[in-house]
Amino acid sequence: MRETVLKRCLGAGTILLACVYAAGLLFLVARGAAKMASFTLYASPLAGVDNEQTMRFVVAGGLFAGGAWLGVSLLRVSGVHFRWWTRGADRTANLVVVGAGLGGALFARDHLPRFLVSLPTETTAGGGVGPELFNTIYFAVLSTAITLPIGVGAAVYLARFARSPKFVGAVRLALDTLSSLPSIVYGLFGFLVFVVQMKMGFSLFAGAVVLALLNLPLVVGIAEESLHSVPREIEEASLALGATPVQTALRVTVPYAWPGILSALVLSIGRVFAESAPLIMTAGTTVSRATAYSLDPFRGGETLAVHLWYVNSAGLAPDRADVSAGTAAVLVALVALTNFIASRFAQFGGAEGTRMKKVTR
Amino acid sequence: MNRSMAIAQAPGSTRERHYVAGPPRVGEAVIKVALVSCAGFVVATTIAMLAFIAETGVRGIIEVGIGQLLTGTRWKPEAGSFGGLALILGTFSTAAGAVVLGAAPAVLAAVWLTEFAADSLRRGYRRVMEIASAVPSVVYGWLALVYLLPIMEGVGHALYGADAPVTGEGIAAGAVLLAIMIAPTVLLLSLDALSRVPRPLREASAALGASPWQTAFNVSVPYGWRGVLVAVFFGFARAAGETMAVQMVIGGARKLPQNLFRPTTTISAQIVMDMQNARPGTLENNVLFSMALVLLVFSVGVVLVTRALARQNAR
Repeated sequence: MRETVLKRCLGAGTILLACVYAAGLLFLVARGAAKMASFTLYASPLAGVDNEQTMRFVVAGGLFAGGAWLGVSLLRVSGVHFRWWTRGADRTANLVVVGAGLGGALFARDHLPRFLVSLPTETTAGGGVGPELFNTIYFAVLSTAITLPIGVGAAVYLARFARSPKFVGAVRLALDTLSSLPSIVYGLFGFLVFVVQMKMGFSLFAGAVVLALLNLPLVVGIAEESLHSVPREIEEASLALGATPVQTALRVTVPYAWPGILSALVLSIGRVFAESAPLIMTAGTTVSRATAYSLDPFRGGETLAVHLWYVNSAGLAPDRADVSAGTAAVLVALVALTNFIASRFAQFGGAEGTRMKKVTR
Repeated sequence: MNRSMAIAQAPGSTRERHYVAGPPRVGEAVIKVALVSCAGFVVATTIAMLAFIAETGVRGIIEVGIGQLLTGTRWKPEAGSFGGLALILGTFSTAAGAVVLGAAPAVLAAVWLTEFAADSLRRGYRRVMEIASAVPSVVYGWLALVYLLPIMEGVGHALYGADAPVTGEGIAAGAVLLAIMIAPTVLLLSLDALSRVPRPLREASAALGASPWQTAFNVSVPYGWRGVLVAVFFGFARAAGETMAVQMVIGGARKLPQNLFRPTTTISAQIVMDMQNARPGTLENNVLFSMALVLLVFSVGVVLVTRALARQNAR
């Protein structure tokens, strides 16, 4: 039948599409893995930058803990499926992850791949992305600190305390507009307000504010959805026990919806890793030796995504291709990790979640 | 892109719950004010953003003239001519090409996944596409720079002769790159839209004797086409606003290209490249904001259209 043939063709095309993307991503990670996976046998010397020891400690700990967590999660999936996973296995798994993190941090921190801990170079080969990795994660923390209170606050207002339809309509229109603006408009706004008018120069703070604005629609949308999925009965029970609406919202509704909100935050962190255009105009494209690993948010600094663009459009290093491959691989690994974590949180939602188990034990 | 936008609720709908308390307390009022101010902050920053960009952009428009800005063909800030036609055409032709090349397969794949595929396959597919859509755009741009441009150069030589001055950069490369970038997002949004087709409708169609193919294209797609159109619009808006990846493959030549394989430029790529040299307060700087204003007006227009469509879809 002609329909069956068409259906088969459509199906084959769809599967081919996914295979192309999956193959492309795997190839990307494989190509850059050579740069990333080259742990050194000898201890690589410090470059004399402030906080470098702390940075190596944290990167080694995170790397080993993350790898252990991935392995343990895969074991857990098969264990739950084949029903040999016990509570003891759960505790051992957590201990293994923490132990791997600590062990890696203490013993392997001087043997990390040079790519992950050394400074970038402009014209010579052998540059790394250490400061860029630090800046990327610092941006994630800073912008989440801004997005979390404002986003969850706005979502709670929209879901529970909204009064005038005009104001709510204005808020929704604002969120829709924010969610569809090109990212370069955010960059221009940050440039105008922070770099030019406040004369702060390039700073991580400006970049974090701009990224927080970028992520607000995503966080408010998903948070509102999780708040809507809280069962009415739980809230009415709380009110029947004498709690005020605000107490109910803050102590019953939000904790119940917290896994969904957390998955929204993790998705927004994934977006922070991926943005480069707004950051070029607010945080700059350079890394300086003096402030490479400093916690000061008012200095400039580039992230992994900006570094990837910079190396390919204005860089002069002879090993540009390798550095780009390594940076892209680190980025894809970070993004895949955050997506994985978000999906793990999302399945904890609602009445089956561990949070509810803790409350009702 | 905000996937939740496709299921936005109209204000004051019955999904919102209002619980009325007893006598008012100070702590209650303080927290409520804090929550209102969070929502107000969203509105305030949106207005501030539009106002800042519009203020600087309007200054540029007044000095150069809107006609020259939109239809002039020479973009040479150092010589004082600000013709933005090459930029605008570059943006919209790459975005249109991306929709044709990328959104169409994505929508067809979404239809196949919702109508003919098993649930587990759909879930796994969604997982892969979620990662693919979260991959940074600069990574796609770098991959295109390394692997797509030689292919495009070969295609250009095949089309225009072995000694034609094609370099692989240009609108064709930009369109293919943007197609690869927006396909996962359009696919995920279309999946969401098509999965909202109610099961009883499909079952009724099957009960009347329709085959799955007939059900898909005569019942499901006509029901959910508005959501799918919203997804395609999102893809178009994202492709038009994409900056860094396009800048790597478009070539950066500030003129109208002779064919699809000659370098040209787009609005956002030109803004990023010229912003490095333009000092704040000068005419060059203001005109860059005017071009950003063009992009902004376009994306706000897309927002309004998709809101109207989504409102009809969520009936």
